[in-house]
Amino acid sequence: MASSRTTTALREIRSRGEESWGEVRSGQWSKAASAVVAGTLMSLGLRRRSLGGTVVALASGALLYRGLQGRKAHRPAAGRETRHGHAVEVEHTLTVRRPAEVLYRLWREPSTLNLLMVDFAQVTTTADGATHWEIQEALGRTLSFDSRVVEDHPPELILWESTKDSAVKTQGWVRFRPAPADFGTEVTLHLALSPPGGVVVEALAKRMRAIPAMRAMKVLRRFKSLAETGEIPTLDHNPSARVRAD
Amino acid sequence: MRALCWNGVNDLRVETVPDPEIVNPHDALLRVTMSTTCGSDLHFIDGYLPTMKAGDIIGHEFMGEVVEVGRDVKKVKKGDRVVVPSFIVCGNCWYCDHELWSLCDNTNPKPEYQQVAFGYPTAGIYGYTHAFGGYAGAHAQFVRVPHADNDCFLVPPGLRDEKVIFLSDAAPTGYMGADFCGIQPGDTIAVWGAGGVGLMAMRSAWLMGAGRVIAVDRFPERLAMAERFTGAETVDYSQVESVVDVLREMTGGRGPDACIDAVGMEAHGTGPGYAYDRAKQALHLHSDRGQALREAILACRKGGTLSVLGVYGLMDKFPFGAIMNKGLTLRTAQQHGQKYMHRLLDHVVKGELDPSFLATHHFSLEDAPRGYEFFKQKKDGCVRAVFTS
Repeated sequence: MASSRTTTALREIRSRGEESWGEVRSGQWSKAASAVVAGTLMSLGLRRRSLGGTVVALASGALLYRGLQGRKAHRPAAGRETRHGHAVEVEHTLTVRRPAEVLYRLWREPSTLNLLMVDFAQVTTTADGATHWEIQEALGRTLSFDSRVVEDHPPELILWESTKDSAVKTQGWVRFRPAPADFGTEVTLHLALSPPGGVVVEALAKRMRAIPAMRAMKVLRRFKSLAETGEIPTLDHNPSARVRAD
Repeated sequence: MRALCWNGVNDLRVETVPDPEIVNPHDALLRVTMSTTCGSDLHFIDGYLPTMKAGDIIGHEFMGEVVEVGRDVKKVKKGDRVVVPSFIVCGNCWYCDHELWSLCDNTNPKPEYQQVAFGYPTAGIYGYTHAFGGYAGAHAQFVRVPHADNDCFLVPPGLRDEKVIFLSDAAPTGYMGADFCGIQPGDTIAVWGAGGVGLMAMRSAWLMGAGRVIAVDRFPERLAMAERFTGAETVDYSQVESVVDVLREMTGGRGPDACIDAVGMEAHGTGPGYAYDRAKQALHLHSDRGQALREAILACRKGGTLSVLGVYGLMDKFPFGAIMNKGLTLRTAQQHGQKYMHRLLDHVVKGELDPSFLATHHFSLEDAPRGYEFFKQKKDGCVRAVFTS
């Protein structure tokens, strides 16, 4: 049965996760996580020196994160944070009005990830089938790493991890489950990030867990619109009396 | 192009901005032939609705001529004369499919605001805060219309712009408000607010079989308009001690079968309740003045229907006990214009509905700030200002 297969797959993933989290204490993780945070901050428009916008974005994120916490299906067991650094895991679910098969195929299309991440990272496919990520850091540097699908259960689940030789490590999965009635398919996106080293940055990262939560929500929203309408709502070239369009 | 921009609280200016472009494959570009003010614009002009940004082009009630279409637009063609509902819809999601158009899942590029404020994001609107998407508005020479096949409605030939423009928002909002009342033949419907939406709700209530329609407002010219153009009876709330008592007496002690609130968060009123709301709003302790809605709740007969069209943020002193104990049915939404557009165009063609009387004042786009001033202050009996470029 589909559901029990999914459950098994998830159990495997969790044990794999435990192993890979043992490696998270490398200096590269700091770089990765700070880049992720910085990139996300940028994409949220926090750099625009608008106090109101900043407060709204942070408050939104914090609230959203709290909402996510309440219904997390795979919350790390107590004590896990201490064992593995303050691993940040976020999960978000959205219902999309298309069959799982269609959504699975769309997610695996080489161009899709880049469309979903467009304001955050450039995502391309390498010659050997890996996914190459380039994230703009706040100071104009570019951080890049590769990830590869390590679990594939069409049309139910895709799990990816950064490659072993990659300067950066990250992990995530997307799951497709049928929704009741005529709602379509419930799509869950799970992302795991690690905090930077150092007490101050760690504390900051803990507070910033809202940001990846927001990111997950927006990625899923974009995916839903792409799947349901063939396009993603945008403010590109949106006229205004400002210099920036959005 | 030239466009009316919001630059801060009570600071509207016409500025030169970049032209819009086709961005997505289902987009169309319109040359706006007419646009109009809406009472809901006043909420952010006055600073009560957050998430505006200096430089935003405002305006969400409009019509125009199609000048360009994206590659996946199938029905709409260059040269079409169309009217466009203020809420942008995709036509593909569960909500669109269930005719809950203003709840569309796929047209708000900034879902994070409403996800927090409302739990889930609604559809986007043209020129109406970043919580509703941040799209450029239509008080401009040109506007981009996403999902054109679902959002552009062909205007039947021979109808002047003034007869059609209000089908973009005021008419479908009022019509929906009357539809929410589930009107049985002979029902009495009371409508708070004789502005564009309220007047359209009154006219719509008659079209749906109401036996009596009662308008509640305080502006003599608006009450006169309600009487003359919609055949409503009128109550001037500034001239009576209690609107609730007056309505009870007018309806044999029962109360109206349904009450429509077409006022919203900046209601005017009289007495200590109004003073309390006004003071709290002025001090930014809360955003809403809810006098009209509170009256509607109390006035409605037991088991009646409350249809809320006014725009609200947060309100305190909300008499929910009256709703619960009297067993009222509460219906509310932002307009599902796409649901009603064909019916409304049909009413207009048949001469059963002519909203053109709402267009009391004409301005050029260059003069739009003055148009909003007339509209906001209700100067010279202004009900709606319309702009042409």
